[in-house]
Amino acid sequence: MPYIMLLMVLFGGHASAHQFTPTYPELESSYVSGVLKTTMDLFNSRKDVSYYEIGVFDGEWNGVPFATESRIVKIDYLRRKKIDIFIRESDRAKAVYICSKSKLLARGSAVTSISSRICSKIK
Amino acid sequence: MFKKVMLAAIVCLSAAAVAADVEVVGTVASKCVVTTDTSGVYGNPSPSVLSTAAVDAGVEPIVRFDVIQAGFYKAKISSPNTFSESPVLNDVVNWTGDVSVGEVTDASMSAYDTSKIVYDNITEVDLTVAGSTWFKVSSQAAYGYDKALPAGTYRAVISAECIAK
Repeated sequence: MPYIMLLMVLFGGHASAHQFTPTYPELESSYVSGVLKTTMDLFNSRKDVSYYEIGVFDGEWNGVPFATESRIVKIDYLRRKKIDIFIRESDRAKAVYICSKSKLLARGSAVTSISSRICSKIK
Repeated sequence: MFKKVMLAAIVCLSAAAVAADVEVVGTVASKCVVTTDTSGVYGNPSPSVLSTAAVDAGVEPIVRFDVIQAGFYKAKISSPNTFSESPVLNDVVNWTGDVSVGEVTDASMSAYDTSKIVYDNITEVDLTVAGSTWFKVSSQAAYGYDKALPAGTYRAVISAECIAK
């Protein structure tokens, strides 16, 4: 355990994270009839990432139509954003996952980059 | 008399202000946090090979998964099978890669190495223990049949996904 703590202290300054909640969002009626809505919370503590892509998928990872303010969300470092997702009531049974994926910028450095994606499952 | 009443009122009011509580609210809910701990670097041990192994002068990328509650998520990590940036390559690139458990905050997480499911370039791990797990991703790219890689910048992307079950 002390070794783990030492590692966390040593690398803590370099680590950067991506968080997308809730784990099991619930679709509720929206102000538009026939359209359901849920709100997701995206937190960006990845210094190397400023943009995230939002997607809605079925159980086989096929895209499901949805609407949101912007599919590519700009979110600054250490900022949190509430994202409203609208899904047609007719797609309610199809929609299974709501995901956020980090968008990496081409930088031309000889490194491997890490793309992160977090998917919540619709209740 | 009036002054005394005013003074008493001020003392009482200021005492009330001092005693005011400041509330801090927090919620513990199932959550997955994907943290990029270390970006990898390819070493070039021979003209035809790029490798993240330390013996090849590379750096293995490390990604950390934090789960607040056990059993709600699975991790899906893909090692590269293509370059996201490279000079023009006229021959095939043979990719090999592996994902292994590095550090853990709970000893029972070491079992992830045996319970993981591997297919193609993807490793899936059921995150059955709450806490943090560091996954190391190794990657090696061999060009053609001992063919020298063209000079230039090579870049590959590792995908780390946390999917609610």
